Amino acid sequence: VLFFRPLPWEYGVRNLFRRMGRSALTLAGLALVVLLVFVVVGFIRGLESSLDLSGDPRVVLIHTLGAENLENSSVVGNTPGLLEASLAGVQRRGGAAYISPEVYLGTRVAAGGAAPGLGLVRGVTPAALLVRGRVQIVEGRWPGPGETLAGRLAEAKLGGPAGATAVGRLVAFEGREWRVSGRFAAAGSALESELWCPLDDLQQAMKRQDLSLVALTLAPGADFADVDEYCKERLDLELQATAETDYYAGLQRHYQPVRLLAWLTVLLLAGAGVFAGLNTMYGAVAGRGREFAALQTLGFSRRAVALSVVQEGVVLATAAALLAAVIALGLVNGAAVRFTMGAFALRIDGAATAVGCGVGLLIGAIGALPPALRAMRLPVAEGLKA
Amino acid sequence: MLTDRNPWRLVLPAAVAGLLSLGCNQSGPPPADAAAEAAKATHVLTAEPAGAKGVADVRKAAKDGDDVVVVGRIGGARQPWIEGRAAFSIVEPSFKSCSDREDDNCDTPWDYCCDSLETLREGMATVKVVDAQGATVAVDARKLGLRELQTVVVRGKAKRDEHGNLTVLASGLFVRP
Repeated sequence: VLFFRPLPWEYGVRNLFRRMGRSALTLAGLALVVLLVFVVVGFIRGLESSLDLSGDPRVVLIHTLGAENLENSSVVGNTPGLLEASLAGVQRRGGAAYISPEVYLGTRVAAGGAAPGLGLVRGVTPAALLVRGRVQIVEGRWPGPGETLAGRLAEAKLGGPAGATAVGRLVAFEGREWRVSGRFAAAGSALESELWCPLDDLQQAMKRQDLSLVALTLAPGADFADVDEYCKERLDLELQATAETDYYAGLQRHYQPVRLLAWLTVLLLAGAGVFAGLNTMYGAVAGRGREFAALQTLGFSRRAVALSVVQEGVVLATAAALLAAVIALGLVNGAAVRFTMGAFALRIDGAATAVGCGVGLLIGAIGALPPALRAMRLPVAEGLKA
Repeated sequence: MLTDRNPWRLVLPAAVAGLLSLGCNQSGPPPADAAAEAAKATHVLTAEPAGAKGVADVRKAAKDGDDVVVVGRIGGARQPWIEGRAAFSIVEPSFKSCSDREDDNCDTPWDYCCDSLETLREGMATVKVVDAQGATVAVDARKLGLRELQTVVVRGKAKRDEHGNLTVLASGLFVRP
């Protein structure tokens, strides 16, 4: 297939073991580069999946007309009742409408004795569990007066010490102390970085009577346009309906520059890795002129010699990629990261693994090519005298 | 120089041109479908109805159930359309949109963001193009050839509520050139 007789596979592999120190250092260097690629791609995948999972296609958010974000929105307190009475397409069960009045804000939160950090707080009623179907209380119980339910990633968002939002601990925000009554998970969505507390308590603490938003679930067969039409007809209420999926798609667009920057970092890292590979493989080729010439006198073509050099680079890079993948899956996957919108977990999924290992292989192949070409250029007679 | 030995020199520009043309097609008008054509035929008028009044005047004078002819510009919000329905918001034509004002480079001039919500509300109405049964026509208004900031004359019945809101249940509409 290759139209020439390649060197035995073992030859290239054995060569790596002939220079153990150099090979080990190169392996470590390449593994570090690929690990960094894994971290950056894990960051991108984590951010994307957090926002992807956060929108429920059946949930509609009602907020102030023209509000740039939900934290700046203010709707009057009787809006949930109005919506329940006016909209036929709201999901209901056992007489309860799936309508969740909420106050949502970013505020300074002190937890675990650390300096206050920016936290996300949501004042809710039990109806929130109807609308936010992915939320599961994984520890403790629903918050009573003066209590709060902490999301799985709230601690990471606050940047406090480990256990700062453990059940029974106190956190302080809006001039009050709140005891953590439980912890919740929400399938990896952005909700997991929030602190939930009773709506009435939060309104009292903030001395406000209005709401930030009303979230509702559409009944099967109902259409977002029904809610949108109601909001557009009731100009006096100054309401705007946004599909929750559209809201998070907007956030995805908002973070597009961050994602582009992260991909640029991947490129730069890959470039640095290529140079590391080049350096090593040039070192590996230098001083082997006699060996390459001898191989050619034995009947192996220049291309076979060059292929063997590339093979050495690719084998080393593959080992480095696998090592980095194991470390990434063991230590990086699931690690929480603080971000402006909340917190999310780094995600080393199939795509991240493919990109990381692909970059590793690319580094090995591209990094070994110039030294391989150099090995090809050396005349046999000159090589034998070297 | 192009030669047969360099096929990529031909393929690459062709591929780029193809991609560009795809991009251009995506930003063009949505493809017309049968329902949209039917709605156009029944509801889009070829001649302007007589006696049109501005949105603000109609809001002041019209009672629930009155026959009205209203003129307004499509806008009043960043998203004046109701997705998938022949319904949209219009604004009193004497109001200045952001693009009518000097030194305003607003990306969405049809949202009239330079006016306060209170002012804007006094000159806004919702238009719902309805069928013979009174149901909103299930065709996106943009498929009827409508665009933001177009001036439309709407003929229909006024629907008023106790909060002063005005909805026009439109039987026909005319787009001023």
